[in-house]
Amino acid sequence: MVFLIATAVKSELPSVRESAPDLWRRVRRYNLPVQLALAAADEVMRFAEDTSIAAVISLAPCQPGSEDLYRWGNVVTAGMASGSLGNLRMNPTQTLHAVDNLALSAFAIAHRNHAYCLGLGGAAGQAWCGLEAVCERFEAGEENEALLMAGDQDAAEDGARGLGVALLFSARARPYSSLGRTVCLRSVTRNTQRASGVVPHAANGLAAFLSAINDGCKSYAVPPEHTDGVSGVTINLEIS
Amino acid sequence: MSKRRVAITGMGALSALGATTRELWDGLLANRSGVQRVQRLVDSGITVTTGGEVQAVSAQNVDRDHEIANRAIEDALIESKRDATECGFIWSTGLDTFQMDANGFVHRSAGVCFSNLSSRFSGPRRMIAAACASGTQAIGEAFRLIQNGRAEACVAGGSSVMLTPFYLIGFAGLQVVAVDNGSDPAMACRPFDKRRKGFALADGAGATVLETLEGARKRGADVFAEVIGFGMSQDGFDLNRPCDDGAGAELCIRRALADAQLSADEIDAVNAHATATYSGDLAEAVALRKVLVNNWRTVPVSGSKGAIGHAMAAAGVLEAIVAAKTCVTGIVPPTVNLDQVGEGCELDHVIREPRDTGAETVLSVSFGMGGQNAAIILTRHKEAQEEQK
Repeated sequence: MVFLIATAVKSELPSVRESAPDLWRRVRRYNLPVQLALAAADEVMRFAEDTSIAAVISLAPCQPGSEDLYRWGNVVTAGMASGSLGNLRMNPTQTLHAVDNLALSAFAIAHRNHAYCLGLGGAAGQAWCGLEAVCERFEAGEENEALLMAGDQDAAEDGARGLGVALLFSARARPYSSLGRTVCLRSVTRNTQRASGVVPHAANGLAAFLSAINDGCKSYAVPPEHTDGVSGVTINLEIS
Repeated sequence: MSKRRVAITGMGALSALGATTRELWDGLLANRSGVQRVQRLVDSGITVTTGGEVQAVSAQNVDRDHEIANRAIEDALIESKRDATECGFIWSTGLDTFQMDANGFVHRSAGVCFSNLSSRFSGPRRMIAAACASGTQAIGEAFRLIQNGRAEACVAGGSSVMLTPFYLIGFAGLQVVAVDNGSDPAMACRPFDKRRKGFALADGAGATVLETLEGARKRGADVFAEVIGFGMSQDGFDLNRPCDDGAGAELCIRRALADAQLSADEIDAVNAHATATYSGDLAEAVALRKVLVNNWRTVPVSGSKGAIGHAMAAAGVLEAIVAAKTCVTGIVPPTVNLDQVGEGCELDHVIREPRDTGAETVLSVSFGMGGQNAAIILTRHKEAQEEQK
């Protein structure tokens, strides 16, 4: 059995800076998707029994990088044109912004977590693979708790708007913090229905899914724009 | 449900040593490095001009990321006589690609590349993002999906296009890339050597077809090796360097051993991560000595990055292919460019010449930036070899 325990959705950094200065110190040098994913994860892990041994499944952003990284890319382009690339140096912090597993690693460092981890890449529809992986780990009896987190941004070139989402699951039945009721993740099923109009985003699909749960939805058909375009996905829940 | 046995029935590799698994293996046995000075990097004026370039696909081809991956995938599918529509796809396309053309950067999304590659596969379709451990973790995750009955067959592996000024300058800033080595660029990357100074970035792709052993036997497919164990861990220590005591690497190897229900003395050979970074090689050697205990002086250890460079998302699977070849042949290739073992890196290194040890069970490890670690254990499929005789 897989029980949803707590969730968080984050879209603003100013509130993180003000309300969680320790967290902000940890994440300030990262790019927006990672900052928002970690802020959301930090919130849900308050409900965890042991943050150091929870399995961690992390989704890389579909729009990776940062404004700084893209600005630096333009410097490289200009350097190539002028033949002056030899003098260029890159700020190592900006290098981090290109790393696909940054949120996963940063979380592990902060929580001294050495447990099962799975970094999923920034392709459309990977959120549902993450949810499937959560189910597989629990069904195999491998986990007591698991975190699924994702962060993404609308456009890496400006890093203006983004979204971070985190979900904490447990093998032990406890009320879901947002509903005060028990929410059991029964299954994630797929069909062969291909879709067009897919919008790759690591976090938007999960956020929409959480909204539906909070409205009491028990069978959630993932909208085509949040799938990988190759298969349809339905998530079955039991709310009691 | 009892766990199913998992076989490797197809492999494809594009590396600095060539466009086939045969060229990769033969190059390693010949103690040859494919790392070289890359003229377009020299022309760009950057300070790091050596790398492991895949010659088979033109650097001017803006579809290079897709093309390199697809060739490895096709080769693996053809060898296994499997169709993509029968397989899941567990793959890492690494980081976004920033290639250059006359107008500047051409930004290619790794996620879009994955989506394009994956759409013809039946599923599961999972994109792995575990930095340098991605390829090994892809094989491990595919192994687990098949073992637990969630897939009958999977293509697992990874691909990377890294030899661009964007990444060379970026990694140089982290002080992990070997700068040019005078007149002999092939010597740039020296794993475990006392003169090591970092890795050579590389392009590459490696693909494996994994399926149930039972299914492979029913089809009459060639079985190159069985995957018998997988472990992963996170250092949880630092984004840019491993812990000095190799604890994260050790944990991951111990998990793989436990998964395979093996003791360390049943490991016949190790395909090491061996990046040739100062701290990375030290931590890896410490971890291997701790795990191998009394056998660390007699279990042959070999690394491939001196020959092919560090192909990031492809690295782990290219090395797993080498490990599978060792399972089949019993031969451990040398660590190219290892001449004088660095202090603290002492292991039973295979130097200059391949060693025919009859190795059957091989540990292959990858330790990624950020502290993500993955290990798999492969073993010779003896029943298939008996039948071939």
